[in-house]
Amino acid sequence: MIDLNERFSEKRNFINRLIFVYVFFGVLFLYLIYKTFSLQISSYSDYELASLENKTREFLVQPRRGIIYDRNGEIIVNNKPSYNMILDPENVDDINELIFEINKFVNLSDAEIKNINNIFPNKKKLNREVVLKRNLTTEEIAKFEVRNYRFPDIQIAERYSRENLYPFLFSHSIGYVGNLDEEKLQEILSSQELESNETIFTYSNGFLNGKTGIEYVYDEKLRGLFGKKIYEVDASGRLLQEKQMIPAVAGEDIFTSLDLPSQKVAYDELNNRRGAVVAVDINDGSIVTYVSSPSFSVNKIANGLTQNEFDELINDDDKPFFDRAAQGRYSPASTIKPAIGLFGIDNDILDWEYTIQDPGFFILPEDGRIYRGWKKGGHGEINLKDAIIESSNTFFFSLAYQTEIEELRAHLSNFGFGKNVCDDCFMPDNGLLPSPRWKMNTHNFGWFKGDTVNLGVGQGYINATPIQLAYYSAFLATKGNINKFSFVQDSKNANKNIFNSKNITNIDWDNIHESMIGVIESPKGTAGRLRSLKDYVIAAKSGTVELVSTETKEDYQIIRETEGKRDHAIIIAFAPMPNPKYAISVVIENGESGGSVAGPVAVAVLNSLVKND
Amino acid sequence: MINFKNFIKDKIYIDLYLFISITLISIMGLVFLYSASQGNTETIIKQSFFVIFGLFLMFIVSQPDPDFYKNNSAIFLIFSLVLVLVTLFFGKEVNGARRWLDLGFFTLQTSEIIKVALPVFLAAYLYDKPLPINLFNTFTTLVLILLIVNLVRIQPDLGTSLVILIAGLYILFLAGLSWRFIGISSGIFILSLPFIWNNFLEPFQRQRILTLLDPNADPFGSGWNITQSKIAIGSGGLQGKGYQMGSQAHLDFLPETETDFIFSVIAEEFGFIGVCILLSIFLFILLRCLYLAFDARDRFCRLTIGGLSLLFLSTVFINLSMVVGIIPVVGMPLPFISKGGSSLLSFYIAFGIIISMATHKKLMQK
Repeated sequence: MIDLNERFSEKRNFINRLIFVYVFFGVLFLYLIYKTFSLQISSYSDYELASLENKTREFLVQPRRGIIYDRNGEIIVNNKPSYNMILDPENVDDINELIFEINKFVNLSDAEIKNINNIFPNKKKLNREVVLKRNLTTEEIAKFEVRNYRFPDIQIAERYSRENLYPFLFSHSIGYVGNLDEEKLQEILSSQELESNETIFTYSNGFLNGKTGIEYVYDEKLRGLFGKKIYEVDASGRLLQEKQMIPAVAGEDIFTSLDLPSQKVAYDELNNRRGAVVAVDINDGSIVTYVSSPSFSVNKIANGLTQNEFDELINDDDKPFFDRAAQGRYSPASTIKPAIGLFGIDNDILDWEYTIQDPGFFILPEDGRIYRGWKKGGHGEINLKDAIIESSNTFFFSLAYQTEIEELRAHLSNFGFGKNVCDDCFMPDNGLLPSPRWKMNTHNFGWFKGDTVNLGVGQGYINATPIQLAYYSAFLATKGNINKFSFVQDSKNANKNIFNSKNITNIDWDNIHESMIGVIESPKGTAGRLRSLKDYVIAAKSGTVELVSTETKEDYQIIRETEGKRDHAIIIAFAPMPNPKYAISVVIENGESGGSVAGPVAVAVLNSLVKND
Repeated sequence: MINFKNFIKDKIYIDLYLFISITLISIMGLVFLYSASQGNTETIIKQSFFVIFGLFLMFIVSQPDPDFYKNNSAIFLIFSLVLVLVTLFFGKEVNGARRWLDLGFFTLQTSEIIKVALPVFLAAYLYDKPLPINLFNTFTTLVLILLIVNLVRIQPDLGTSLVILIAGLYILFLAGLSWRFIGISSGIFILSLPFIWNNFLEPFQRQRILTLLDPNADPFGSGWNITQSKIAIGSGGLQGKGYQMGSQAHLDFLPETETDFIFSVIAEEFGFIGVCILLSIFLFILLRCLYLAFDARDRFCRLTIGGLSLLFLSTVFINLSMVVGIIPVVGMPLPFISKGGSSLLSFYIAFGIIISMATHKKLMQK
């Protein structure tokens, strides 16, 4: 019926076509094998990791934050436990019944019940903890504990909040903590090679980090290391079982050099006046007293302020948040005189025998401008020592007149002016040690000789923070041999100052000390009224910062009607002489007299420090 | 004395190569399915029943002479066409698709039956037509194919309709469709792709194609299936995670583990080695079919063996390509392994017909 030849050609045609299709699919199959090979062999590690990440979920375990101590081992900042009632929802079917049972002994508010009802279904589905009640009282805990056999799925969990035991005393030195923002969180986690997925941060008081002060500067030490709980999960995110638990590493405790008793004295003495006290142990530069006033409660800040309370603090004219000790800029005024005197000695401009006639004012030869002293009629014939004791302006105007500004600047810089003198202070200001270039840049004016003359009595452009003034004081006390300041002094890492003088001898230093002792002890001294406040010897130099330049005392009486225009009171001191241990600076804004207003504060703090040793 | 061996040879028609390899892969399928179904015994008992019944059916189907299928192919086609039409109106609706007929003891996916009936009918229709096939025959065949494809497509069942289309086109191609016609119609097809994209594809089907091109664009949405499938396969590595140890499958990351994505489970638990063994068995079956097609007694048998084996090949290929992410996700089971009675039975029937054609040749020559 079919011709044989045709059948053969037809068969060949069919076979060819079938082979064609097989070859076509053969090639595709090879590609398929290649694709499987690349998934399973070449990219194995990627996909193995992806599979592992799929089925595991990590929960971070919060570390306990380090405790902060004062130098006597007193706890200043601690972690305060709070107790929450936690439910494991896996075996709970009727949440309302459970709430009803709990409500018999621990009162749940309507809002709390509503919240539990809202979150329960989802938490149960995913097998996540449900917080039934936060911040249980001890009574509530006790009531639960006697009944806990009836509630196998409920436990009391401990959480910590930060508590400063002296919330007003250390507001600026130790600072406060707060919740972290997302960016900071990522930074902390990546430093520990962790990823944020689901964490405890939304829970209870959350994770805190330092915002200011020591809490901020030493945050990394205080914070500790996160632990992890690793769970196996299924595709819906339901927790199946705990696979691994890496415990958290608690933060390091910080033993500061701060001294609680002197801190209390300084705070009480300042009595909410605007000002600051900084005192240091001159042996190693460790800060023992650090108060900025007025202050605020760090506990309130850390645990949440109401909007009103916050507005009140922010809008307070006395600016309680402002850290005057590290950031307040004040002219050193007459306290700078010992440093200027040492410049004269070092550069052979004068010696201790050298005298000038002080008529009560200095006339600048260039333009006849008059620079006045504080005492009408002047101090008569006066040498360096008396010029310090009596605080003669004319003497130092005339001395400064004989200096070169750049040399004087370099000299003053050694004493801590215009530079950071603290290793671990929070955002310290560097003050201002002016230079001709600075003046040209900011005021578009050249440097006048008169600017140098003003610098001789610590007025004009120069200003310094209380920390810098304390450093200056410590520098004088140690004869130029002082460590950079720190709250946590580690003598191994201490940054010793090296003071290269040309001509200053130990005798010169002793004379400076003697002059500064005379400020209090000499009948002519400007701070004589401090003599009766202590029973050991203090070296000091007071200053009065003129905010408004006045010609006469009568003019000043008009000015002082406005409190904000009154002079700042300022003093630096070190004691006990002749072997000083502590150096201090005190500034009281608009306090008018360094000797009689700032002085008693300094003496009171020194009394506390010296007597407690 | 009757020689028992000869008796078997003379009276029983069986190709041992295909029978053993298909039995082997069916048993492996049960083992895989047990793991993929998270150890669901009910599923396994049901599937075992289908496997045993299917092997028996394959044996029965291979007994009649191929002429039986040639002469009755039109009846088979009309019967299965009626089933498809009944399904369209009275079928059981699951997830918005009407693909199943509820027979009480068994829900039958009718498109699986017509998938086999159509190639057999086309082979019977075309085997004695002069070469090359003239335009009239080409067009009547094409119209029939497209009619059936569309009936399945509107169920909707894109995967099966695609396989039916491919199977029909194979027969046309193998029967000697002219190369010129193939060239011209391919050109027209390619040019009309944008039109098909806009008018014939459902939005979710378009989304699947887009997902394939960039599964990472939406890894938790439409890209989820393919992303999880790749993770399952890739994390299996060379040796696999071990039987029932696949975390992707057992922690529900992988979708449709019992049906479309069962290969991912196998790859995860048995690794590249397991994949290679499985593919070798598939390859062996296909090469055996190729040999049988060479060796077939007449043109009808050649066309039928070629068409049905390519139907099998395409199904396997589409399923595997889908799960490794080469082509978009379409509903397509892995033959002899995925859960589902209809698909299983249709392939047992198809191989029964192939065996019938392979074994009856020798007797005729006698």
